[in-house]
Amino acid sequence: MTEACVIETKDLTKYFTISANLIDLLPRVFRKKPVVKAVEGVDITIERGEVFGLLGPNGAGKTTLIKMLCTLIVPTRGKGFVNGSDIVKQGEAVRKSIGLVTGEERSFYWRLTGKQNLRFFASLYNLKTEDVKRKIGNLVELLDMGEYIDMRFDEYSTGMKQHLAVARSLLRDTQVLFMDEPTKSLDYHSAAQLRRFIRERIVGQERRTVFFTTHILKEAEDFADRIAVMDRGCVKAVGTVPELKRRIKNPEASIEDIFRYFT
Amino acid sequence: MLLTKAAAFIKRDFLTEISYKSAFLMNLIGIFFSSLTFFFIAKLFGRAAAPHLQDYGGDYFPFVLIGIAFSTFLGVGLGTSASALRQEQMLGTLEAMLITPTRASSIVIYLTLWNFIYSSFNILVYLLIGRLVFGIHFSLSQPLLILVILFLSILSFSSLGIISACFVMVFKRGNPVNWIVSSSFDLLGGVYYPITILPGPLQVISHLLPITYALRALRGMLLAGCSWTEVKIEVLALLGFAVILFPLALLLFELSLHWAKKDGSLSQY
Repeated sequence: MTEACVIETKDLTKYFTISANLIDLLPRVFRKKPVVKAVEGVDITIERGEVFGLLGPNGAGKTTLIKMLCTLIVPTRGKGFVNGSDIVKQGEAVRKSIGLVTGEERSFYWRLTGKQNLRFFASLYNLKTEDVKRKIGNLVELLDMGEYIDMRFDEYSTGMKQHLAVARSLLRDTQVLFMDEPTKSLDYHSAAQLRRFIRERIVGQERRTVFFTTHILKEAEDFADRIAVMDRGCVKAVGTVPELKRRIKNPEASIEDIFRYFT
Repeated sequence: MLLTKAAAFIKRDFLTEISYKSAFLMNLIGIFFSSLTFFFIAKLFGRAAAPHLQDYGGDYFPFVLIGIAFSTFLGVGLGTSASALRQEQMLGTLEAMLITPTRASSIVIYLTLWNFIYSSFNILVYLLIGRLVFGIHFSLSQPLLILVILFLSILSFSSLGIISACFVMVFKRGNPVNWIVSSSFDLLGGVYYPITILPGPLQVISHLLPITYALRALRGMLLAGCSWTEVKIEVLALLGFAVILFPLALLLFELSLHWAKKDGSLSQY
């Protein structure tokens, strides 16, 4: 892993058994279970300050890949490194250096306000009490959340929830930011605003690395420095949009053409 | 940092609790009615139960009041880890917590803190109702020793609760630990009656349960004013349970978490 390389995977693979029940506790020899190949042999390298887009249809394995890199799922085989730390052997070191935003609307405490939620998670991130107030104040201003940060989370719109999730991921100044379909439930303007914020502030000014997944072709094309196209668990191609066009030998190809070619 | 995190969990649960306006009042009313129910049951028994209660002053009502008050600790210790973990899975907050640098084994302990504080308050209410409404005299001559017994009881009960949470982590529902332990504790732990009335073999089993020692020590101290030497065996037994069960529970929890991460079922419920 080179100095500039922040995320690297080698043959990263995850198979799931179809169901979980008591039989799973028996030694493998006693059970025969169907297996789903969620992620198969992924090799990618992502550099510091890069916006890397993982593009794929629903069920392609994007979320499984991102969860493996965030130490929430243990790989079946292969290696993964984030900021130089092994995702299996050095999980705690990995977690210290990453932030995660999911497109999931849940993941906050509904009866607490946005600010109370952020304060709670800030304490889990080992932020010092004196830094928490300043940090949350800055994020509220940056993400323009002043009007609703003191409202209860169950009164939030989808866009507000997503902004709060982004704010949580930015509570610490981590080098890597994982975003799993961050604009999934946002309207056009909110999604564009979020992408602009990430591009200008997170990557442009702070030189952080952003790894995001999406199934929206235009978003991947406009937002990412490089794209990986993923389908049925496999990464079919990685590169900039012009590189991918060259690869399919069609300089006039649209992102839709590229996507169709590889999936 | 540990205290800051513990305080954050307590504050979070406190804020959630007070957001349900009537729950606190209903809880107080519930304690009063439960105490009243056992007061009348005690009147029905009269002095008939006295021969079995000689070690605790001979009166059934103070005996059972302490039993039900402190068995709430058991309920919290046993049930909170599993139910809180399931709640976090359902809210979608479990993964958000596990992505932080806070250790999972610490999180499962922090999840129970508020409930222990709340049930301590409930115990206090039980004792106050017993003292102020029903005129029971409690001996509080050795508060430090009482706190030590409570602490060891919490560790023992929580350990069983964390083991119960391992089942939630792996199987999500159908948790047998909670059911088996709480049923056997109710039946054999001496919450509602002294274990001396049980048949011999059941008495032997009851001596394998931490609640037996916790209740015997607390009743001895609060009702009969026992000294350290008189409850020494019970305290050492509780210490033994805590020393064996607590590390075992944390180890099992880490293993069950790893299993869920391998299975990809961390956020499933």
